[in-house]
Amino acid sequence: MDSDRRIGLTSAAIYSAISITASASFFVAATVAGEYTTVARVSGAVWVLLLSFIVTMPLVTSAVKRRMKV
Amino acid sequence: MSTKEMTLPVVGMTCASCVAHVERALNNLGGVRKAVVSLGAAKATVEYDPERIGPTQMFAAVAEIGYEVGSAQATLNVSGMTCASCVAHVEGALAELAGVRRAVVNLALNTAKVEYVPTLVTVAQMKRAIRDVGYEAAETVEGVSAMDREREARQGEIRRQGRYLMFATPVALAVMAGTFYEYLPPALGQIIPGWLAEKWLLGLLTTPIVFGPGRQFFVNSLRGLRHGVTDMNLLYATGIGAAYFIAVINTIWPDAGFGGSGATFFESAALLTWFIVLGRFLEALTRGRTSEAIRKLMSLQPKIARVVRGGNEVAIPADEVLVEDLVQVRPGERIPVDGIVKEGYSAVDESMLTGESLPLEKRAGDTVIGGTMNRTGAFTFIATRVGAETALAQIIKLVEDAQASKAPIQKLADWVAGHFILGVHLLAILVFVFWFFIGYHLFFDPGTSFILSPARLSEIGVFGFSLLLSVTVLIISCPCAVGLATPSAIMAGTGKAAEHGVLFKNAEAVENASKLQMIVFDKTGTLSRGEASVTDLVIAGAQPVHLHAGQRSPVAGSARPPADPSITENRQAAIVLQWAAIAEKNSEHPLGEAIVRGAKERGLEVPDAESFESIPGHGVEARVDGREVLLGNRKLMAARGVDIAGLLAKAEELERDGKTVMFVAVDSAAAGFIAVADTLKEHSVEAIRTLHDLGIETAMITGDNRRTAEAIARQVGIDRVLAEVLPQDKAEEVKKLQAAGKRVAMVGDGVNDAPALAQADVGMAIGSGTDVAKETGHVILIKDDLRDVVVAIEVAKATMRKVKENLFWAFIYNTLGIPLGAGLFYPLFRVIVSPELAAALMAISSLTVTFNTLFLRGFVPSLRRGAQATSEPRAPRAPVFASSPAIMPGKR
Repeated sequence: MDSDRRIGLTSAAIYSAISITASASFFVAATVAGEYTTVARVSGAVWVLLLSFIVTMPLVTSAVKRRMKV
Repeated sequence: MSTKEMTLPVVGMTCASCVAHVERALNNLGGVRKAVVSLGAAKATVEYDPERIGPTQMFAAVAEIGYEVGSAQATLNVSGMTCASCVAHVEGALAELAGVRRAVVNLALNTAKVEYVPTLVTVAQMKRAIRDVGYEAAETVEGVSAMDREREARQGEIRRQGRYLMFATPVALAVMAGTFYEYLPPALGQIIPGWLAEKWLLGLLTTPIVFGPGRQFFVNSLRGLRHGVTDMNLLYATGIGAAYFIAVINTIWPDAGFGGSGATFFESAALLTWFIVLGRFLEALTRGRTSEAIRKLMSLQPKIARVVRGGNEVAIPADEVLVEDLVQVRPGERIPVDGIVKEGYSAVDESMLTGESLPLEKRAGDTVIGGTMNRTGAFTFIATRVGAETALAQIIKLVEDAQASKAPIQKLADWVAGHFILGVHLLAILVFVFWFFIGYHLFFDPGTSFILSPARLSEIGVFGFSLLLSVTVLIISCPCAVGLATPSAIMAGTGKAAEHGVLFKNAEAVENASKLQMIVFDKTGTLSRGEASVTDLVIAGAQPVHLHAGQRSPVAGSARPPADPSITENRQAAIVLQWAAIAEKNSEHPLGEAIVRGAKERGLEVPDAESFESIPGHGVEARVDGREVLLGNRKLMAARGVDIAGLLAKAEELERDGKTVMFVAVDSAAAGFIAVADTLKEHSVEAIRTLHDLGIETAMITGDNRRTAEAIARQVGIDRVLAEVLPQDKAEEVKKLQAAGKRVAMVGDGVNDAPALAQADVGMAIGSGTDVAKETGHVILIKDDLRDVVVAIEVAKATMRKVKENLFWAFIYNTLGIPLGAGLFYPLFRVIVSPELAAALMAISSLTVTFNTLFLRGFVPSLRRGAQATSEPRAPRAPVFASSPAIMPGKR
């Protein structure tokens, strides 16, 4: 149980960091471009965050599991 | 350091030394603190550090020293799976449980077959693990109730999706009518009220669709996400959710920057949900039909048996019949279990199990198979195999195992589909980012519309447009069809083969059988009957056998002295055969037995000879009706001064064909000769010819000398002869052919040819009857009919053709659909795919694959086409001479 929890927490920290970075990068890029409304920038960042979570969550979780179980 | 304890069942220990071995092997593992083995309980209790070691290493350590960790099997019905990635999730969830050694999930059957260590994991834990990743699981039970449960689960799914559909259909149509109100034909515009086009009303109508029938996608994807898994439900949920969310925002806050009031895609959310639910409903309806064969087999099992207990006939459930119970069967009833007829006579239709089209006569001493149909008479039989031991139960298990296995081509498809979902989400990000930063500014045209829709997207903003394309990619890429392509075809193909008495043990055997280049047949018992038979009978034309007038004819029922000049050659031949048989009656030589059997098969009486003497190495001498009859080889004839010169040319000709010739002389005059050989089985020639038509090379393997082997090969049309091969060397010969680059099948007796059957790419055990459990080989042919080799290959080819067609349809759809959904052609045509059209295409793709598979149901092997069943009962394994060399009175 302890091991599962540690895997869960470590994975969550990693995939959250990756997704937030991707989302923030999107937001910064859209802001720097300067031609997008706030709603478009925020909503776009949320959409990127959501998809990034979906992509990174299973990849990171299984990688962490493998690494911690070895 | 935390420690855990577990108990492993250990199989194979017989003494204290075994205990010491196992204890030492476990104690030597790093991470094991203490292992104690009990011989009496056949268990090892291990205290270990879970951080350093897991059960898998312990299983390996026990296996390495020659013992086994005992395991059990469970089959779970899993509902809610829709695609190959679901298969991967369920398999992954099960594999993660400590104690699960192997988990194979079959999408088409909705089952998970799990091999597990009962002391480490329970079925309840497996069900919980499956539920945790978003699916439902229930344990299956064997036999009829398994069928009932499977049917119940499928019908439950049909009912559930049907209810959703009944609700969603009218509401989605209303949403569509309201959305496109201004484009409706005038006639419809008069019927449909204008207020239906109000945005807030469309929102009100769409909401119960999204959160009613659409709720299943959100719930299942959330469950999966909690455990870090992504599946089709997530694609649907993101698609429906995004369309609905934007529509709500644009309705309530049109100036929020999501595209305004012109971009309220309530119809997208409503129709997307409707199409997906429709697809699931139709899939549940059609998917059950691909597993029809197994259901047919299961439905053969009668529920009630009438047994004699305490002198009275009582009706009891069929699964309560015990071995040695006396069971009564009336005309028109199914036989409840396997057994041996004690008294009575009937004709039994076994076609449902063996594919044998003619009813078989059953009388005292004959075996009967549970599940077959008693046609004409009543009889009583003694139960010999009951419950899971019956032939029907074994066949069902074999077919189920085959259907639950994975063909190599499916493993590749599963891998692709399993990784596809992540790839699609990654692609969705790229599509969104591209259209957001680049594409919209370069290509967007306010006149943009959806394909097959008059609606314009003029008001949509950069975020709305990019999101729309991103969502469409998610929906259109759904690899449901890829996941269904192989298992549905394998299921239909193995079921179809079973209907013809051909049992594939696994999907790999189907795939291998479809690629065969050469088939090696064992000779004795496979191509030939394996026992000598009379093949030719030549009478000495110039010296007809004469009996003295007034003497009793030895020919049964003959009232006319054979000395009659009008006697026919056939009659003379019968007389010669009968005399030879009488002379050989007391002989134990196989050739003599063949002659006696040959005479009896032709209805000739074979009384005892007046005297009989065996002449070792030469033949026999006997006195029949007062006359000296000699039967033997040339040496015997020469020794007794019998002139056989006139018979020699024909005799030598037959000997060149591998036959053994025995001369017959009566009162020192040559009467003729009888040729004996191992004859070909019925249909051998036809089967080999058809295999050649299929482009498959044939070979025969035998221990016989080359001349005899080549003679048989010539008769049957075999391409290559492997003669003088000892039984233990057959596997080596198969290996040599494989080394030469051939894909080889071996057809032989499942017991005697086991090593060669195992060595071949496909081993076919022929004529095993219905005791299929003990057979080796990858394919079991229940009947002793070589044409079933052709059936096996044709079914395998048809199945793999269907798999390839299905994969083509599934992949071509994704290959074309993704660029279309991503807006690759938008710069040219200024149209995009709407999410609902993407959902419709996705549903059509899955249905195309399922319907394409259903065509296999109508497949009939070439040698079965036009076969007419008759109602005339046939004696079991009746000798048929029509197609083997007939007895022909030869002429000099």
